Amino acid sequence: GVAPLGPVPLQKEHQRQFQMLDAAFYHLPLPSDSEKLRSYLARTPCPSPPYYPQVPLPDTDSLEFYQRLGNETLFFIFYYMEGTKAQYLAAKALKKQSWRFHTKLMHWYQRHEEPRVINDEYEQGSYIFFDFDNWIQRRREGFTFEYKYLEDRDLN
Amino acid sequence: DRAPGGPTAHIHSGILQVTSRDFDDLGYVEKTDFLLREWVTLIHSPSGIREPTKAFGTFVQHLNMHGFLKTDDVITRFFRISTRLCVDMCCQALTEQSNSPTVVRTKCYQTLDAYVKLIALLVKHSGDTANSGTKINLLNKVLGIVAGVLLHDQDAHTLEFQQLPYQRMFIMLFLELNAPEPILETINFQVLTAFCHTLHILSPSKAPGFSYAWLEIVSHRVFLGRMLALTPQQKGWGMYSQLLMDLFKFLAPFLRNAELAKPVTLLYKGTLRLLLVLLHDFPEFLCDYHYGFCDVIPPNCIQMRNLILSAFPRNMRLPDPFTPNLKVDMLPEIAHAPRVLTNFSSMIQPPNFKKDLDSYLKARAPVTFLSELRGNVQISNEPGMAYNIPLMNALVLYVGTQAINYIRSKSHTPNMTTIAHSAHMDIFQNLAVDLDTEGRYLFLNAIANQLRYPNSHTHYFSCTLLYLFAEANSEAIQEQITRVLLERLIVNRPHPWGLLITFIELIKNPTYKFWLHEFVHCAPEIEKLFESVARSCMVQKQV
Repeated sequence: GVAPLGPVPLQKEHQRQFQMLDAAFYHLPLPSDSEKLRSYLARTPCPSPPYYPQVPLPDTDSLEFYQRLGNETLFFIFYYMEGTKAQYLAAKALKKQSWRFHTKLMHWYQRHEEPRVINDEYEQGSYIFFDFDNWIQRRREGFTFEYKYLEDRDLN
Repeated sequence: DRAPGGPTAHIHSGILQVTSRDFDDLGYVEKTDFLLREWVTLIHSPSGIREPTKAFGTFVQHLNMHGFLKTDDVITRFFRISTRLCVDMCCQALTEQSNSPTVVRTKCYQTLDAYVKLIALLVKHSGDTANSGTKINLLNKVLGIVAGVLLHDQDAHTLEFQQLPYQRMFIMLFLELNAPEPILETINFQVLTAFCHTLHILSPSKAPGFSYAWLEIVSHRVFLGRMLALTPQQKGWGMYSQLLMDLFKFLAPFLRNAELAKPVTLLYKGTLRLLLVLLHDFPEFLCDYHYGFCDVIPPNCIQMRNLILSAFPRNMRLPDPFTPNLKVDMLPEIAHAPRVLTNFSSMIQPPNFKKDLDSYLKARAPVTFLSELRGNVQISNEPGMAYNIPLMNALVLYVGTQAINYIRSKSHTPNMTTIAHSAHMDIFQNLAVDLDTEGRYLFLNAIANQLRYPNSHTHYFSCTLLYLFAEANSEAIQEQITRVLLERLIVNRPHPWGLLITFIELIKNPTYKFWLHEFVHCAPEIEKLFESVARSCMVQKQV
């Protein structure tokens, strides 16, 4: 470093400030300190080898990217990253693939075939749904999807 | 300190209430502790998560039953004790070694987030919907209490002080109060003001143990966005510039000695990152406040200052400084003055000196003004601290802007001929000749701070610096001018446009006989350096 005006000894006040700063240096803020609490995937920073990617690929926060992800990944993001932009994008990508969210059962459903009954209140037929308890896709025959439980907000 | 008034009055009264020595009977503390725990459980329960407002309704009834909402004093006391309890809980959790860091953190967050939610709901629901005064007063009071507990805690625990609980309370409360809700949108500007006042009170100089957390808050994307982008009419810019000034002022004594211990280096790096974000996203903000920032950044922090001086309005397209035969005089932008949002003319003190300066600029007399000039800017004989830097900066910019006005009043435009032989140039030439090395360095730096994007100041001061070089009566002055320009260019990018233009002109234009000067050839490494700079500027070395 260069000090063209020459060094000036620190005043007492500045020395005290430095001591406090030095002490604070040993318990620095963590990224999670100013983030919403993550119940499942808490941040656990650790050193990783430099030849591993240190930052996510560019444009991984776009809908296009989410549409390229597999269903299971989208379900994982949806259930384990609540209240994040990622969850929002995952929901959007699922909807684009004709998955519909059931607000009471909290499951995602997809028509397996044209419903046998469709009226103003519900539709009934054979559906595929994602069972998050067992983490598997299942089929449900003769299921009645009541429209009052359909999550139909426009996700903008 | 003057007695604070206006919106800050409540913050200060909150701080005072923390430090006042009224004794809380143990029963009251216990009751608060009990209620707070109840709230934490309530808000984190499934029904509390689903309908926080309903949980809040239930809880307010409990507070009322226990007489916690009777008077302002009681409410204040509730907040003071609650803040204390939350902080104590966190500090205890953080010192416990048995749990994993993630578990400890989660425990702290749960309590702090619940408390923040309570504050936010109380602020939102206090007074009636139309009455924003009550809400804002309560917010200021609570922020004051948290700030007061922080300062008190820092004094009491010094090196054991923990930033975490305060950082989380401030940032989470900020996020809560900036949610997209109509009630909150109507009071948004007052909310921003309240937080800025509080952060100013807790600036790193006053709360050094809180510095890292403070910088995290100040550079948080939501905070930055609200202060600089979303608030209409740039009403947040002034307050935000104040916070940056607080940061620069704190760093200054450590940076000027160029002995960077690890803790300072980290804070410095964070500051550079913040400046890069600002340069990229809000260049106009850095443009408008560059003067005030340069006033507090030590002269040796070249890159930090270059970041600020390189900012230019986004709608402007800068001509490539390396274009052969670029005619700066022909650029339409150089007719326009840049915005300077610091009242620099009022910084020319004492008033007598300002009066004498004005009358000299008018009458170009008496000559004694020039001979006494040095005495006005010099404040001591101590090397390295001999000059009043803010006064020097103000003097240079003031004389320059007056010169531009003067030349225009005579229907001329500033150029190498019109800037010469005037009261203004007398002052500059006198400073160049009469000051010692230190003074001249600061004087030339004050000029170089104006070499930015194409505007009337850049053009005038570029001509002035070249004129001073051409008319210098000693090699020493020319060497120093070269030094000031070169040292700003040999650092990593960015480099201000006006600085490059001026330096290229100096080495390219044969009238300056740059390559004939002895200092260019004083050492082989310096000579090589000049040659490489010349090559990168695509200039033929002229011998």
